Amino acid sequence: MPANKKYLTKSKSQRFAKISAGLIGGYLVMESLHIALAFWVNHVHVLMTLRFGGFILWSALLILAFLAENGWKIWAIYLLLTLLFSILIYFGKSYNPII
Amino acid sequence: MTNRTYNILFHTHTVSGIIISVGLYIIFFAGSFSFFRDEIISWERNEPVIEKGFGNANFNTMMDSLDETHSTYGRDISFTKYFEERRLSLNLTPSKDSTVQQDASGREFFYMDMDSQNTYDYASNYSIGEFLYRLHFLAQLNFYGSSGYLLAGTIAFFFLFAIITGTLVHWKKIVSNFFIFRPKARLKNIWTDAHTALGVIGLPFQFIYAVTGVFFIIATAIVAPPVISIVYEGNSEKMFEDLGVATKDFPLAMEKPETTPNLNSFVQKTESYWPDFNIEKVTFYNFGDENMHVGVEGSPQYGKQFIGRGELIFNAGTGEIVSEKNPFENTSYVDGVTGIMERLHFGDYGGLGLKIVYFILGIISCFVIISGILIWLVARDKKHIAEKKRKFNAWMGWSFIAICLTMYPATAFTFVAVKLFIYDFDPERMTSIYQIFFYSWLILILLFTLKKDNFFTNKYTLILGAILGLMIPIANGLISGNWFWKTFTKEYYDIFFVDIFWMTLAIITFIVGIRLKRINEDSRTSLKSVSE
Repeated sequence: MPANKKYLTKSKSQRFAKISAGLIGGYLVMESLHIALAFWVNHVHVLMTLRFGGFILWSALLILAFLAENGWKIWAIYLLLTLLFSILIYFGKSYNPII
Repeated sequence: MTNRTYNILFHTHTVSGIIISVGLYIIFFAGSFSFFRDEIISWERNEPVIEKGFGNANFNTMMDSLDETHSTYGRDISFTKYFEERRLSLNLTPSKDSTVQQDASGREFFYMDMDSQNTYDYASNYSIGEFLYRLHFLAQLNFYGSSGYLLAGTIAFFFLFAIITGTLVHWKKIVSNFFIFRPKARLKNIWTDAHTALGVIGLPFQFIYAVTGVFFIIATAIVAPPVISIVYEGNSEKMFEDLGVATKDFPLAMEKPETTPNLNSFVQKTESYWPDFNIEKVTFYNFGDENMHVGVEGSPQYGKQFIGRGELIFNAGTGEIVSEKNPFENTSYVDGVTGIMERLHFGDYGGLGLKIVYFILGIISCFVIISGILIWLVARDKKHIAEKKRKFNAWMGWSFIAICLTMYPATAFTFVAVKLFIYDFDPERMTSIYQIFFYSWLILILLFTLKKDNFFTNKYTLILGAILGLMIPIANGLISGNWFWKTFTKEYYDIFFVDIFWMTLAIITFIVGIRLKRINEDSRTSLKSVSE
């Protein structure tokens, strides 16, 4: 009954890419998304949601990274998303500063 | 779902599950007993709690007796009742009066008995209840900073991951397989049926625990650093203020009033102001000063309202309310989230009956973990797998099962041994409880692992736990004289409950234990598994 090996990632570098993309990339996406939201909607509500919802999102991103065909591609996608949210943070900071 | 997706999810579920299995079992087992933390503590100390809340706590006498040993002027002194026990937690801040003597210049924390005014430091206040409660977030593994909490939090996060992947893998058969139980089939099918059926029954419960567990133990530590530096530009105090955990500060007048107010009046005023309010914390700001204030904090009684957080602040001199936060109206999102997380995790909103349901669901989760380990083992015990690997797997199975299942007799033994041998509430108490639990657990783990027989481990840990469990009410009766029929008539229901709880547990596990029979795998036909 163990999972059929034919479908699992064999290459070591791919495996590393997927695990690191899910854990680190997923964390970056989760944090940047919530911080960006914090500048555009009620930031206290967003930060409170981040403390539990963030982890549900993070585990979903971790699962998606494992399902990806190419680990480096999913890294690129997660970094692009982080970049997009960072731009929102940049503008949020100048238009709706919290402090 | 494509075959590829199915197999990948299956594999991630298996790997994350087997890695966290033992840690998660310890968390669930100790956590399940922690629902009865307060009852266990009443039982252990033979101090029944009859009045809930602050009851008849007399702050005048408590402060008088505190005054004899501590200088109190100008300090913020809080009495907190985290749990339903007779001892309150006391927190003293350093005095704001800079001319004050040395002994009031530091922070202090200890416990005080509401009735006897005896004080206890952390180690002498230690108890089995506290031990199991702290074991359930692996506090005993805090060797480097908070490494234990971090480990518990990581386990909770991967538990969440395993729940989601497990549900996805099982998704298509979630209804059809729910009613399948094949006790006559091969072991692998029995474990699979048990794992999936009980996993589905416990799914909402386990999901709640994964999320709330992460929330309590590591959420802030993990998500806060970028938030503090980007959103708050390094000002972490502002963040904690936003999240509602800031401390208040009143300036010291540096003058002592002519008359001291009746300290009980503030609690009484709050009680008549909000009759359905459950007081959890009373703080005297600037004690003994002209500008002394009194804060009374708490939440609505759960029968009245599920969440909410309220506080009244009095000017101690005039007795007037200077600030009010109504717990019954306009609950903020922050208080709402915190309240829901706490209620769902502690299971304290529906009395003892609900806690028993929570306990059963907790033990079901333990069973899901064990059956998961057993599926892992059986699925890898195949002829085509290399001998070395099979040997390693077998040893892993023996030790994992032994670590998990010996927790039951070790816990029962700790109850008996603490009752029989540890009488004093001195700082040695904490060390003694550690030694009793961890040494007995270690010895049992070694013996059962070296026996190299999972059936034997299963059967005899249940029977041993049952025998020790039956000794718990006897030990209590012999030492305290509070036999369970006496505690029932005296209405010491918390002490009575612990005795009855252990008797019930012991009888059930004894019956299950002696009825367990070894299954001869070869005599069983391999039914075509529905999962294939």
